[in-house]
Amino acid sequence: MSENKLSDDSKIIISRRSFLKGIVAGSGALMVSNGWGIFSMAYAGDKQYTMIIVDYNKCTGCRTCETACSAYNHKASVNGESINGLGNPYLSNIKVYQFNPDVDVPRVCAMCPDNPCIEACPVDPDPKGRRALYRHETTGAVTNDPDRCIGCGSCAEECRVGVITPNSETNMPERMCTLCDGDPQCVKLCPFNALTQVTVDTSRGMYAMRPEQIADALTKQWYSAE
Amino acid sequence: MKNAPHGYYGVILEVDLSTRKIRKMPVDHSDLANFIGGRGLGIKLLWNRLKDKPGLDPLSPDNPLMFMPGPLSGFPVPSSSRTCVVTKSPMTSPVNSKYQYASTLSYANMGGFFGPELRFAGYDGLVVTGKSDAPVYLYIDDDMVEIRDASKFWGLGTDQFDKDFIKELGDPRFRTCYIGPAGENLVRYASIINTAARAAGRGGVGCVMGSKKLKGIAVRGTGQPNVADHKLFLAALDEARAKLNDPSVYDHWRNGGTTAALERNSASGLQAVKNYREGTFTEAKKLGVESSKKYWVRSFSCYCCPLSCKKSGMTKGSPYAGLIHDGPEYETGTMLGANLMISDLPGVMKAIYLGDDYGMDIISLGNVIGFLMEAYDKKLIDKNFLDGIDLQWGSVDATLKMIHKIAARDGIGELASRGVKALAERIGQNSDKFAMHVKGHELAAHNCQANPPRALCYATSHRGACHLNGNDAEQQNMRTLADSAGLCFFAMYGYGTDGKLLGKILSGIIGQERAEDLAKTGERIYNLEQLFNCREGFTRADDVVPDRYFEEPLTIGDKKGAVMSRDKFKIMMDEHYAARGWNPDTTLPTQAKLEQLGLAEDGNRI
Repeated sequence: MSENKLSDDSKIIISRRSFLKGIVAGSGALMVSNGWGIFSMAYAGDKQYTMIIVDYNKCTGCRTCETACSAYNHKASVNGESINGLGNPYLSNIKVYQFNPDVDVPRVCAMCPDNPCIEACPVDPDPKGRRALYRHETTGAVTNDPDRCIGCGSCAEECRVGVITPNSETNMPERMCTLCDGDPQCVKLCPFNALTQVTVDTSRGMYAMRPEQIADALTKQWYSAE
Repeated sequence: MKNAPHGYYGVILEVDLSTRKIRKMPVDHSDLANFIGGRGLGIKLLWNRLKDKPGLDPLSPDNPLMFMPGPLSGFPVPSSSRTCVVTKSPMTSPVNSKYQYASTLSYANMGGFFGPELRFAGYDGLVVTGKSDAPVYLYIDDDMVEIRDASKFWGLGTDQFDKDFIKELGDPRFRTCYIGPAGENLVRYASIINTAARAAGRGGVGCVMGSKKLKGIAVRGTGQPNVADHKLFLAALDEARAKLNDPSVYDHWRNGGTTAALERNSASGLQAVKNYREGTFTEAKKLGVESSKKYWVRSFSCYCCPLSCKKSGMTKGSPYAGLIHDGPEYETGTMLGANLMISDLPGVMKAIYLGDDYGMDIISLGNVIGFLMEAYDKKLIDKNFLDGIDLQWGSVDATLKMIHKIAARDGIGELASRGVKALAERIGQNSDKFAMHVKGHELAAHNCQANPPRALCYATSHRGACHLNGNDAEQQNMRTLADSAGLCFFAMYGYGTDGKLLGKILSGIIGQERAEDLAKTGERIYNLEQLFNCREGFTRADDVVPDRYFEEPLTIGDKKGAVMSRDKFKIMMDEHYAARGWNPDTTLPTQAKLEQLGLAEDGNRI
């Protein structure tokens, strides 16, 4: 198994554990400096978004991330108490795509700083300046307001990664990453430490690419003749 | 479905390819309680369906082909991807029977994602009966189920079909399984493949699928069953994840997968080498983990499995360079490597790829070719018999030629496609002494001279020789239970062989009451399987291993001189039947045993 040769940004692929350690050690600045991508001016102030990235050399396609996401974001009510659901992967916001030759590509919201999905939302902004689709105040996650959403599907059409999926009945957008209120469960439960929460950097390799494109690139890299 | 028992839908999807009728069939709740799912529920359904049909021709439309996930399937339980394909075997036969087509039951177990997805779609199992006139595939998208034309795919190898099938379906999130040309051509030991890499390999399940003209099955689903005790389940899940995510549990699987056993078993004299003549392959290192790592690209996992034992790679620098496939694993690397005296790793990979691409069980395939190599070496057959193939020990080229012939059932391939038992019967000249099968099903990559309990494992297995059967009653019962729950053997050691954690998880899913006394559930299933085989005419005379094990001591390696004793084998088997509560001659469970397990009524059928 080769070292991470996927992109030259391996420096910033920091596992959650080392990220936390890094903060303690004061080296979290590395992350911050990488956050200032070309869209940094579009952040409206100094807001920085974070996202889940994948180390494709570590991912084995087991789909534990899907079950972790689903369990946290689709809670069950048990005796009036809201607890984690059973992890039905259909409801997951992160989805693993598998290809032949063997390549596994988890697909998850890229948290695009230029907000193509939100820009596409035709609903008039409320007094807070929010359209039906908006950035969550604390996490920055793309969030839908079902009371104002008209189910037009424009956001899904503009989604670069193909994450946003209109609900089969209401046509309202689903599958946007919530970052699990700041503690992404997929990152936490990946048995292979393949997922990491990082500051969005649009210059990062394979940023906002669709699973098929990523699979093509990985196939060339892993399975081309010597 | 309303009132479904916890952990289930209470529904089996049944598709009749003759009448093209598709229906949801309710499952008897007591069958779920007593037989759990997977292999257990599969044998119960087979037993029910063939109630009045002992000796049924396994390739007749009436033989059901069943895809059986377990109650763990579809929940995020670590290493719970396994699915059993259950049917009546097209490979096995007893010494004596009043039925022309007498055979054992068969089950083949596959990992991947197919079983969980079948549950997401809303089914505890899929039963395919009948026979289509033209090639078809089965399309399952939750409640939408269709039988579709597959004429344009007939003849495709599994690797290409895996790609074309997903294109046809239009969504890579479909999970699929399918047969290759070997299954289409009714090679007896044809396999069912999924993800172009995983196989329900053993026991001829692909042959039965081919007899139904069913090229493939695609499934996609959105649901999940309810559980009995949500909180208990989550707590047990946390515990299982903590246990399985311990490096002491997963490290060796992630590092080398089953391939690590290639060198280890060779050193211990336990490997199948030179058609089982020896237990040590002096060139095992060339097929081992370190050699394979030159080609491996990545590890990949089955559903929710932290072990990632499978290795995908690409061969380089040989006539067989540029080949993309997984392996070698212990079984594939031994059966098409050591057992044929082949140590050219890319050559072995080419043979494995071809076997998988044609959709043949690599274990039986390597066993058959090994037998022919020995018969040729001993001059019991000549080149003409082999259609001109110079089938020398160690020849990759001749091996590949033979694989092509077998898949097409062309010339010698026709006879070889029927397995070593048929070959030995045709060749005669005492070749049955080294025809390495039990009941017509070929032995796997584990040898017995230095490990006699393995001979019991092979001799007593219900699908014919099977290395996973278990070496004693207790092990057999627990493994039967794992096969029925949907758990992978490889993870069982991580879960703990006492079954406590598995019991806790099952309690959360199907309820405390039903999860009680799991060992007894395993024993019940195992005994029902025994009834099935006894009814077909199998007796103690069929629970034997080849003469080679008693007559030819190993000549090389640490276990040089090891050979089995007929007396000791007899004593071991006597003790086993006694421990089982079975008649030592007929191998029928005693009335007391059947009553204890709630199978008295079933026993009356014999």
